[in-house]
Amino acid sequence: MKLGIFVSHFRFNTDTYERLKAERLGVIFVQNGIYHATLRENGKSSPLLEKPAKFYVLKDDLETHGFTNSQVDSRVKVITYNDLVDVIFNEYEKLAWL
Amino acid sequence: MAITKLAFLVDKPPYKTETSRLALTHALSSQSVEIYLKDGDNVEPFLAFIGDGVLNCIKNQKALTIYDVTSLDMHIRNALLFGLNVYVCKEDIRKFGLTEDMIVMDADHPDGELKTQIVPYAEIEQAIESCDHILFF
Repeated sequence: MKLGIFVSHFRFNTDTYERLKAERLGVIFVQNGIYHATLRENGKSSPLLEKPAKFYVLKDDLETHGFTNSQVDSRVKVITYNDLVDVIFNEYEKLAWL
Repeated sequence: MAITKLAFLVDKPPYKTETSRLALTHALSSQSVEIYLKDGDNVEPFLAFIGDGVLNCIKNQKALTIYDVTSLDMHIRNALLFGLNVYVCKEDIRKFGLTEDMIVMDADHPDGELKTQIVPYAEIEQAIESCDHILFF
C-alpha cells in the first residue's frame, strides 16, 4: 500500500499514527500540523518524524504561522499547493487525514 | 467606583480553531465596555499567552496574504495599540526552541507605546492572582 497521511493538528492522539504502516508512507503536515516540522519542544524534534516515511510540509501553512523554509527540520520537504497535487496523484494510492 | 480586573489566558495554538482569536477580540472589546457601566466603574483586562498559546505570538504570520484571514500577530499588535498589557511566558518560548526576536513585541504603529512583556510564569501567576475573573481560551 502507498499511503499518504495528512496531519493537521499539533496535539492529537498518536496511537493511530504509530500503527499505520505502508510499503510507501508519506506524511504531509498542514495547518497546525506544521509545528511538527518546525518546533523543537524541550530541545527535541517531533516524535512524529521518527517514523520511516517521507515528510512534507505545506509552504503556505508554514508562512501563515510565521515560519520560513529555513526553520523546517531537514527531514521535511517544503512543498507548494501545486506540489501537493502532484504528491497526491503520483505518490500515494490512499490518503488519510489525522 | 470599582475596577474589575480580567485575565484573558490563551493556552491553545492559533488557526485550527477560533479559540485564541476569540480571546483577542473579547479582550479588545472589553476596552469599550465602560459605556455600559456606572460612572467610575471600569474593567482592566490583560492578555497572557502560556503553553501552546505562545505560538500565537510568532511574528510575520502571513494568514492575511495567503488565506485572507487576519493573522493572530495582527490582533496582538492591535491589543498593544489599544493599551492592553500582553504577557508571554518566557519558559514556554524556550520550551519550543523559539527566540524572543521571533515574538511580536510592539504595535508597529506611531501611537503604540506598549510592548509585549516576555516574563517568567511566576509573574503571570501573580497577575492572575490579582484578577477578579479568569477567562481561558
